[in-house]
Amino acid sequence: MLRVARSYVATREAAEDVVQETWLGVINGLDRFEERSSLKTWMFRILVNRAKTRGEREARSRPFSSLETLDLLDPRVDEPAVDPSRFNTHGRWAGYWSSPPSVAALPEDSVVIAEAGERLVAAIDGLSPSQRLVITLRDVQGLSAAEVCDLLQVSEGNQRVLLHRARSKVRATLECYLDDRAGGA
Amino acid sequence: MRQPEVRCVEFVEQVTQWLEGGLTDEERLLFEEHLAYCSPCSRFMVQFRQSLALSRMADGYMRQGPPPMVRAALQDAFRQSRR
Repeated sequence: MLRVARSYVATREAAEDVVQETWLGVINGLDRFEERSSLKTWMFRILVNRAKTRGEREARSRPFSSLETLDLLDPRVDEPAVDPSRFNTHGRWAGYWSSPPSVAALPEDSVVIAEAGERLVAAIDGLSPSQRLVITLRDVQGLSAAEVCDLLQVSEGNQRVLLHRARSKVRATLECYLDDRAGGA
Repeated sequence: MRQPEVRCVEFVEQVTQWLEGGLTDEERLLFEEHLAYCSPCSRFMVQFRQSLALSRMADGYMRQGPPPMVRAALQDAFRQSRR
């Protein structure tokens, strides 16, 4: 919840306030809750609305500083899923891997899995606000694509682009982690 | 003319679309054909899926639940609604 709120507001304190307000909103609104959406989706709807309001208020009081945190949910800038230098650019194999992913896969070792998980959480935190928002709601919280589009008011296409970019960066983090482990062992 | 083939550089951009069922039938066949014969891309896919699974688990690291004061208020609310 904090992660979602943080995508709209400038500080951790403000995000904590928003989360607190959301919980209170959930308590006060329980009677009005309709079963047609899941409790989780409904809770996130309250959260996103409050965070948005708060973020807009912040943006008005500091016109230049927090525009970036509002981060339009519009993935206009082209951003490849994988560093383009890892593919051949010339000849018969142009567009095919020149530096393919290493064979390494994650072992079934709970210590390693926990460590990799921590790296991934850090990677998610380091994403742009809109990418973080989408991956948190979809992959961490398990909301559906339709629910996320509705919640964030983004088109299906934009939602998917943001999700793919976010997932691609998280995968790259896992790859780095696996390579480090293989190299350091 | 479009190349009747998916190259790695295109493959890595289509993974989410494929997982979400967003490719056309033709695109899907080309994608799956590439996945079947390209072992670097199938390693990419394994890592992609593993990082997805880890993101799901991240809920556990992230779930802090409501703060204590709110938790108490929630319990009160539930108690009252049961009356």
